Amino acid sequence: MNTLDMLSGRRSRLLRSAAVLAAACLLGSPAAADAGDERFTVGAFGTLGVARTDNADIGFSRDQSQARGISDHWSAKIDSLLGVQVNFRATDSVELVGQVLSRYGAHGDFRPEVAWAFARYDVNPHLALRVGRLGTELYMLGDSRHVGYSQLTVRPPNDFYGQLPFYHLDGADIAVTVPTGPGLLRAKAFYGRSDEIAPVGDEKLDLDGNMIGGAYLDYQLGNWQWRATYAWMDLKHDLPQPVASARAGLYGLGFTATADAMGLKGKAARFYSLGAVYDRGPLQFQAMLGQIRHDNALYQDSTAGYLLAGYRIGQLTPYAGYSWVRSKDKGLTTGVAEVDNAVYMQDLRAAFHLDQKTFTLGARWDFRRNMALKAQVDMIRGSPESIYLRPPNSITPQFDGRINVFSLTLDFAF
Amino acid sequence: MRRRLRCLILGLATLATPAWAELVVVANPKSGIDRLSRQDVVHLFMGRLRQLPSGIPAVPYDLPVESSDHAAFYRQLVNKDVSEIRAYWTRLVFSGGVRPPRAADGPAELVRLIAADPGAIGYLDRSRVDARLRIVYEFPANP
Repeated sequence: MNTLDMLSGRRSRLLRSAAVLAAACLLGSPAAADAGDERFTVGAFGTLGVARTDNADIGFSRDQSQARGISDHWSAKIDSLLGVQVNFRATDSVELVGQVLSRYGAHGDFRPEVAWAFARYDVNPHLALRVGRLGTELYMLGDSRHVGYSQLTVRPPNDFYGQLPFYHLDGADIAVTVPTGPGLLRAKAFYGRSDEIAPVGDEKLDLDGNMIGGAYLDYQLGNWQWRATYAWMDLKHDLPQPVASARAGLYGLGFTATADAMGLKGKAARFYSLGAVYDRGPLQFQAMLGQIRHDNALYQDSTAGYLLAGYRIGQLTPYAGYSWVRSKDKGLTTGVAEVDNAVYMQDLRAAFHLDQKTFTLGARWDFRRNMALKAQVDMIRGSPESIYLRPPNSITPQFDGRINVFSLTLDFAF
Repeated sequence: MRRRLRCLILGLATLATPAWAELVVVANPKSGIDRLSRQDVVHLFMGRLRQLPSGIPAVPYDLPVESSDHAAFYRQLVNKDVSEIRAYWTRLVFSGGVRPPRAADGPAELVRLIAADPGAIGYLDRSRVDARLRIVYEFPANP
């Protein structure tokens, strides 16, 4: 209750009245739930994973939130993680949730972070409010990217989720669920502030203070679930070096418009996505399509998607997937050939390019309760210029756009 | 060839699953519901909507995860293994903080819990149903 009161005190009147209502529920509801009802629960999930590529010339990471990638020797770095979550049911309708996560992130180490800390208030079975630190749902399934046990594959498709380095926001969301026809319609809106950072080369791009907002519409009918999501992020910080000094140079030379176009501050990034999941007994199938648009001229707008299918036979679920991502150069120029052809300008333009596809084959083995072993091969085939998702400082002239990634993981959840 | 493969898979699945008792979904007589659709039952037990069609907030209960009735229930309802149901809930628990149905200690406790709460709902072997409970869903004879 205290957390909710505290948080809602800073928020809107709506949330304040929600807290009052919650208090009323607490006082009005019959004494503590029946014997055996666990008001306080602790859970954990994690992954022990090793992976390697067959390419010494370039790195591979899970997504843009990791400081460095792996190459052609086995490493437990990118996929291993541990999360611990505590749930406390304050009343029948108010639940407090906190989660701490240790994984290899932007700082290049496994320092633990508070992944989530929120109060959820179920106003009624149709309406739920959450306030606090929440997982981002820019894409369908995007808020459970770290929970390997809940997923079919070793990691979420890199082509699709790889450009999203943000995992949480400090704010609020509201979800409405209504039976519509034979199915269930769910609408959710979220708004909040980021406090994360993303590695860029040896530097970091600060995301702290960036506001994230969005909404989705989700429809569940029989074995199908569809979702359309729109979200945006308002950027508050410019790119670090070497972009910062390149811009300073351009300003010095009088190319103000070009230098302005390379700025991030005050500009937005927009995220559009469509997703469909089909789940029928042993068969499951996912299809996703996403588009990212940037107001700045350096980050290229991109389109990505994936298809994934798995079929369970006893304890074993073989799966196959295909994903792709493509981006378009925005043609950032000063109009002066000597400047545009300068190596650093070409490098900057090229650094955000993507044109690749990935074939994925693997199997999940649910060998005992709460544990699964997975083996997976990803065959990335792209143009040699498709380097944006490659981890910083790993690009060498020998790169031909082909990488094979071999992964083995043990996922668990308790 | 495909038909033969399917026969083989079905055969193996039958061998691996013990013949299940006749499970029925039960509610409190004061729940205000006579009948649920299969879709309603799926929504309730998969955490999608926690409300009975009569408007009462629903409180679904599971049998212990080790019990054969637990496995048989989800096998009949959504044709999923216990491990798949577990993976499904893992995603919901560790992203939204939503809890899975609480597991009763056994059929006797389940009967007591449902008899005491108009919103409670559970599943049981038909032979254990008595006047304190109302059957609101029966699986088709040939699933």
